[in-house]
Amino acid sequence: MSNIISLQNISKEYTRGCEIVHALDNVSLDINQGEYMAICGPSGSGKTTMLNIAGCMDHPTSGSVVLEGKHVEKGDEATLAEFRRTTIGFVFQQFFLIPTLSVVENVELPLLFSRKKANRDFTVELLETVGLGHRMNHFPSQISGGEMQRVAVARALINEPKILLADEPTGNLDSRNSKAVIELFEELNSKNIAVVMVTHNTDLAARCRKVVHLEDGKIVK
Amino acid sequence: MKIAALAFSNIRRTPIRSILTCISVLIATATVCIVLSVDRGYTNAVQSDLVEKTGVHLYITKEGCPIEAAAVIAQGGLSPLYVEENKVELAKKIDGVSAVLPFQLFTATAFDGSRTDIFMGVTQEILNIRPDWVLKEGTWFTDESSVILGAEMAQIENLSIGEKLYSEQFDREFTVSAILQRNYSQDDGIMFIPLSTAQEMIRREGRVSAIAIKLDDISRIPEISTILRGNLPDDYYVLGAKELSDGIMGFFAATRMIMFVMVIVTFGVSIFGIVNTMIMAVMERKREIAYLKCVGARRNDILHLITIETLIICITGAFLGVIIGLVMTPFANNMLKGLLIAYVPSGSIASPSGQIVLISFSLSIITGVVCALYPAWKASSIIPMEVLRNE
Ligand SMILES: Nc1ncnc2c1ncn2[C@@H]1O[C@H](COP(=O)(O)OP(=O)(O)OP(=O)(O)O)[C@@H](O)[C@H]1O
Ligand SMILES: [Mg+2]
Repeated sequence: MSNIISLQNISKEYTRGCEIVHALDNVSLDINQGEYMAICGPSGSGKTTMLNIAGCMDHPTSGSVVLEGKHVEKGDEATLAEFRRTTIGFVFQQFFLIPTLSVVENVELPLLFSRKKANRDFTVELLETVGLGHRMNHFPSQISGGEMQRVAVARALINEPKILLADEPTGNLDSRNSKAVIELFEELNSKNIAVVMVTHNTDLAARCRKVVHLEDGKIVK
Repeated sequence: MKIAALAFSNIRRTPIRSILTCISVLIATATVCIVLSVDRGYTNAVQSDLVEKTGVHLYITKEGCPIEAAAVIAQGGLSPLYVEENKVELAKKIDGVSAVLPFQLFTATAFDGSRTDIFMGVTQEILNIRPDWVLKEGTWFTDESSVILGAEMAQIENLSIGEKLYSEQFDREFTVSAILQRNYSQDDGIMFIPLSTAQEMIRREGRVSAIAIKLDDISRIPEISTILRGNLPDDYYVLGAKELSDGIMGFFAATRMIMFVMVIVTFGVSIFGIVNTMIMAVMERKREIAYLKCVGARRNDILHLITIETLIICITGAFLGVIIGLVMTPFANNMLKGLLIAYVPSGSIASPSGQIVLISFSLSIITGVVCALYPAWKASSIIPMEVLRNE
């Protein structure tokens, strides 16, 4: 199984006033192709920080980040943006759908920045995968929260990433919608897309093949 | 999808705010358009009245300001200053001078004060020097008691060719030899008589109020004016008609000042509006912009996005502003004509031009781009991590 992201001895410190917060303390983690992983832990344990660093959105204080064999821990903004465009898809607790754009247009939005021409057939295929083939021309205000999150997932997949990073993707959803999103993740994972999600929900975490527990910036299990 | 399409959809998210900002740009653009049109129009109208239409390029006068002299005449007096008629020959000899008109201007008020007649003694040279001084009917003076009436004068007196006109102040009878075509200037209310008759009536034989000179080439005004001055005694003045119009423009300066302050104020308001709107737009969408960066938007992409959003508002406002400015100039023209006291030109005061439209339009667009800089820079500096901040 080939390695996509490798975090090696990562530490991340934040200064809050005169106090130094060790958000991550010497953490190492490998994320491989087709991986299905949950990151759990109490609030403030460093889950989001870890996802940030793995997702090329932040630099670690020390340690190295290797993405598809390239060291990116000191990469500049443009390099990191390039990786975010091509290799990684993001899903967050909030959906960030643009209300004046239709579902299809929202899904195709990231193509604007990867300078790719939209392939409508592929977009339709994605929307069918997330079960929204019949909602393509609706606007975000016309669909439910669960559907919005599924639109967000389809949007994260438009650049055909190798890995999907999700920070509390079901945080805003009820249990029924959460289940639908998780089932979608499982389906994507079966298509060999690595899925890494931060979650507080132990039931959801239990369904993952690998669970990483964080506590005070350290991996405990 | 293009960045422009995204920008447009973002503007539609806050329609009222976008429209209000657009209106402030519209007002600023329309104001510039009107103010520039009036400024250009007034300058042109004064120039055309005094330089081109009158055909007079230089005046030989004695001392002082001709506007002052005009005021004395308007109050019913006789200017105490006069020019020797023999200076006409001197002026004629100068190369580049095409016509020389000595004239005697005076007024006569009826004994009961009920009316004031303006008399102007002229020679036939007036036909060469004044393109807009045209006989509608009749012929040039036939004898020393002939009179040519301005259009308004003929209408008021209800006189036609060959009829008699009696001036009680001078106890003199004139015969109407011609009536002028209306040219909407002071000419319409003047009685033109032979120069020698005028001189005799006020006992100023050999003297005239001033000498008007026309040149072959308007660009030689400064050069010929210097030559003339050199040939005249020290107490003579050579005035360019342009200097006269510049004098009038001086009166206009205050009005002009107010107009330009108006422009600055409307622009200030619209700059404030644009910057405010765009900063709000950026702040509200901070996390969304962070999300766009998260999915790979470059700094430049965000910079473009915000700049284009600003530009859409500004271009719409500027476009409508120019149109409304053009529609409103005739009203501004009428309003200003009522307000002006110094000198009301006969032509249109407000005269828009392609150049003015272009200037107003580009001024608004440039303002828009400048206003976009800060919000756009702020937006492009948002870090993608911002997206994950829980609020
Ligand atoms: N920008 C920052 N400045 C200062 N401290 C920060 C910053 N971001 C995170 N921290 C601190 O780092 C620690 C880890 O934060 P992190 O957001 O990774 O926790 P988390 O596990 O995602 O928590 P939650 O479950 O509440 O989302 C916390 O103590 C937090 O206060
Ligand atoms: Mg978190």
